[in-house]
Amino acid sequence: MAVTASSVRLRGITSLLSGPRVLLAVGVPALFGGLSGLLAGAPAISVTIGHAVVMGVAATLAFEWLERRPKRLPAALPRWILQLVGVVVAVPVGVLLPHFVHMGVDIHAAHEQAQLLSLGFVAFGGLLFAPWIALGAMVRQRDVFVRDQALKFELQRSELERKALDARLRLLQAQVEPHFLFNTLANVQALVDVGSPQAPKVLASLIAYLRAAVPRMQEPGTTLGQELELVRAYLDLMKMRMPDRLDFGLQADTAARAQLCPPMTLLTLVENAIRHGIDPCEEGGRIDIEIRSSDGRCSIRVTDTGLGLASSGSSLGTGLATLRERLQLAFGGDARFDLRTVEPHGVCAEIDLPARQATQ
Amino acid sequence: MTAARPRALLADDEPLLRDSLERLLAKVWPELDVVAMARNGREAIDLFEAHRPDVCFLDVQMPGKTGVEAASHIGRRAHLVFVTAFDEYAVAAFAHGVLDYLVKPVEPARLAETVTRVQERLRNAQPAHTEALLAELAARLQKVSAVGPLRWLRASVGQTVHLIPVEAVDFLRSDQKYTVVAWRDDARRPREAVIRMPLKDLGAQLDAAQFAQVHRSVVVNLSSIDRVVRGANETADIHLKGRDDVLPVSRNYLHLFRQM
Repeated sequence: MAVTASSVRLRGITSLLSGPRVLLAVGVPALFGGLSGLLAGAPAISVTIGHAVVMGVAATLAFEWLERRPKRLPAALPRWILQLVGVVVAVPVGVLLPHFVHMGVDIHAAHEQAQLLSLGFVAFGGLLFAPWIALGAMVRQRDVFVRDQALKFELQRSELERKALDARLRLLQAQVEPHFLFNTLANVQALVDVGSPQAPKVLASLIAYLRAAVPRMQEPGTTLGQELELVRAYLDLMKMRMPDRLDFGLQADTAARAQLCPPMTLLTLVENAIRHGIDPCEEGGRIDIEIRSSDGRCSIRVTDTGLGLASSGSSLGTGLATLRERLQLAFGGDARFDLRTVEPHGVCAEIDLPARQATQ
Repeated sequence: MTAARPRALLADDEPLLRDSLERLLAKVWPELDVVAMARNGREAIDLFEAHRPDVCFLDVQMPGKTGVEAASHIGRRAHLVFVTAFDEYAVAAFAHGVLDYLVKPVEPARLAETVTRVQERLRNAQPAHTEALLAELAARLQKVSAVGPLRWLRASVGQTVHLIPVEAVDFLRSDQKYTVVAWRDDARRPREAVIRMPLKDLGAQLDAAQFAQVHRSVVVNLSSIDRVVRGANETADIHLKGRDDVLPVSRNYLHLFRQM
């Protein structure tokens, strides 16, 4: 039998027959063979034990080999049945093989009635017990498997919880940038100094932006409608700061406005377009925001005609990577987030979400 | 006596702030003649060369060339005053040096102090700043946007260029002059894209804790590895999670996968 199994490669066998299974494959048949030998009054009890051990090893190898090969089975044939059949076939083969060897060595001794009787006991006992032992092994294996799975799920769950917490913490840290705030305030002050009629409107935008941009931890999601207002406030501020370098357009379905999304989803995309696309570009550019909902999906697209990705360093990404993570946490694998370059220069960021409406 | 009037260049990419500074200067330093206004670092340099002003007020963060880069170009040929919004790195550099700087929003009192100092320097002729200080400042600004390990790969799928987050990459395989990126889209589907950059250059920019070279032509994301199967002749095969591709490990890299 060992020869057949060697197709699993030599180290395969050592891994097949390891630990408690060796004990089971050798110990139980040895005990059983000894008993059979005594009962039948066989002259050489060690010979019977030898036969029984070979049978045990053969049955175990068949069991283990069929556990892995063939890799694919027809649906009608469950693996456990195959394994049981294998064990049942392996038992007589495992008895006959050493018997042939025995005949070759000493045909008279091999054919003594007591010897044959004891072999009969061994084979019969093997056929009687081996399938039950195999079933027992399978049940135990399933137990271990189930426990493993449960542990794995538990680990995965705690990992997810940790990730959610991480993402929230990072959102908290990604507060309003002082550089943005003070630059904007300087602009507001400039307007106030000259008594511009624009000043109150700009201040209102700044207040709207700050109110939304200071993260509210307890809120798991906002609607795209709210996000749009936030983004409009932000873009109004940026337009005031760089009137000659920024243009923008906002388009959204009415239906899409009720779509739920993680807080700051749209703002992250737009801030990114400004920071890495428009702001570093001498000529500036245009940002277009399109939000569409159809067929149970909602797509958010932010396109800029800014500098593109060529010159942005590694700072590109922190916000986007966090956003990607938060989308994954909120929608599982059902959210798509894609970034691609636009000709002749610029970036298009696209998010595709399953439609999920706010309930109110 | 118009010839004796000091002349100034103002550079800021935000028009409201340029105008505001001009207005404030007119109050605090009425005899100053603002001869040029620049919208970015490149314009600042051009206008400086065209007008040769005595004083330059330079915003630090400007598109194209920064204020610091413009300052390095101008050197000792003018008195420099930097203008910056809150930026801890830059402010720290200014505070330790003898460079003049203003923080936005500019306070008139603070501007008056700075103007007094600049007027004094004008009388004493030589601008006070040093090249070394400017170099240090430029280095500090550089550090803020320093290039860490790559976070996104720009790779083509057909006619489209995708930005692929590095953690979604399973492995990179060199294909003559190009590199093939095997990655997962957001639905975890295995996909492939091409980068026009040799693997050698690309591999050097990746986070070494996350990616390992396992073969002359293969770099693998360690967290994508399912198992490593040893083969004959000191080699091994890497099997990946949820992918049929099998990657070779050559002898030189086998030590990465010794048992613990």
